Amino acid sequence: MLWPGTATAHLVTTGMGPVYDGIGHLLLTPEDIIPVVALALFGGMRGAESCRKLLMIVPLCWLLGGITGFGGTNIPDFPVQAGSLLLIGLLVAGDVRLPVPVTVGIAGLFGLLHGFMNGVTLNNELEPLGLLGITIALIVIITIVSALVVSIAEGWKRVAVRVGGSWVAASGLLMFGWYLKGA
Amino acid sequence: MVSWTKYLWPAILFLWLALLLLPNEVLSHESQPGAVEIRHLAGDRYEVAWRAPIYYNKPHPARLQLPKNWQTIGQPVQRRTRDAILFTRIVSTQGEGLDGQILRFPGLESTITDVFIKIALADGSVMTTTARPTRPWAELRGERSWHITAREYLFLGFHHILLGLDHLLFVLGLLLIVKSRVMLLQTITSFTIAHSITLAIATLGYARAPLPPLNAAIALSIMFLGPEIMRARRGEDSLTIARPWLAAFGFGLLHGFGFASGLSTTGIPKTELPWALLWFNLGVEFGQLVFVSLILLLAWSFRTLKIVWPKWVEVVPAYSVGSLGAYWTIQRTMIMIGGF
Repeated sequence: MLWPGTATAHLVTTGMGPVYDGIGHLLLTPEDIIPVVALALFGGMRGAESCRKLLMIVPLCWLLGGITGFGGTNIPDFPVQAGSLLLIGLLVAGDVRLPVPVTVGIAGLFGLLHGFMNGVTLNNELEPLGLLGITIALIVIITIVSALVVSIAEGWKRVAVRVGGSWVAASGLLMFGWYLKGA
Repeated sequence: MVSWTKYLWPAILFLWLALLLLPNEVLSHESQPGAVEIRHLAGDRYEVAWRAPIYYNKPHPARLQLPKNWQTIGQPVQRRTRDAILFTRIVSTQGEGLDGQILRFPGLESTITDVFIKIALADGSVMTTTARPTRPWAELRGERSWHITAREYLFLGFHHILLGLDHLLFVLGLLLIVKSRVMLLQTITSFTIAHSITLAIATLGYARAPLPPLNAAIALSIMFLGPEIMRARRGEDSLTIARPWLAAFGFGLLHGFGFASGLSTTGIPKTELPWALLWFNLGVEFGQLVFVSLILLLAWSFRTLKIVWPKWVEVVPAYSVGSLGAYWTIQRTMIMIGGF
């Protein structure tokens, strides 16, 4: 809230009401959807227990962050999305074994930050029900993606997931580069 | 119940809670498209008819804005029908043709309905185009190729089923009753065949179901499933539980008339009718398949993640389906008899 920055709305309008607008917004915003999928991949790699925690924490924190963001006008002058992509991408690529509380903490912080930025950037464009749409989409995506990862056997499929994580991390690095270059 | 269906409950509960939280306008009715018909009279004169649908006594919030150079001749006429307000006027295009002219619909962006525009020229040729909430204007053009028409109606069908929450709720109810994958396939296929039949005969004009009683009957079909879901849960038997495809077929006939209401208001040109019907129905099927797949995928995911739900959660969907069906039945019956 105290960081200077300009909020630029990037709302997806589906023409089907605010809930669908929220769902569409999440699905069509790469800097939100890619780290969410990456986080679900990471949760899946850590097992069902971590997934169950993520499933509760991420949507809840995103919603809380979003509600808080609706009252704000400034976003942090820091590439939060790039940071998320880089951090979560590295966790997936490295198949890092974190304690469950640490995983939950990272997921909660991620949800709060992204939710807050959604709230700020969309507060003039999206009705509060749009946040509900985003939350529903989050629950569905995290549930399905993490379950798919939990269900896959060890071996080459797990390696494929890690490769996906490395691409996410690379995207984060690229975004950092753009930020530093002032693009 | 077979073990895999056990995991449907939480998935359905989750989606159901999401439905409950949707705005009232979306919950209470489907999208009824508006329609504009422009008929060439002679020279540069055209008759413009703007049909703004009324649903549950709410007038359409959008209005038709004609191109600036068009001049209205005589007195515009406004007529109210049972389900729409019809605004008719004769205009002169000041010697210009229709090509490239833009019709605007201020207020459409705040709705969830499309507007279909049909132009009937003196030589018998017909052109159509669409304005949407995301693009509340339409440029009048020459004849369209079949694939543009196909895309238009495919999207309309998909849009219609996603907003037709009563239809989706009925499908949810059926999912809760079926006991096996084979039964699921039979039931969904049966529902599809049934609603395709009535959608076709209603759109082709062989039969017509008045909207208010039809909507009440659709709500009744949802209410009917509530007790059946509870019976299935208790392991009891009934015709619906033993042969859900039968109920799906019977009520599917009703739902097809409901789907037709989303298509009949668009004023489809005769030449486009077979294509429109085919692609609209495919759009509806696609939406339905996406919905069913999502439910089944969520159920599988909950099972894979070993999510344990409290016992009471398992009865919530049945009571929700039944009570919402009952609420809609009462509400729509009151509307039908003029109580609202």
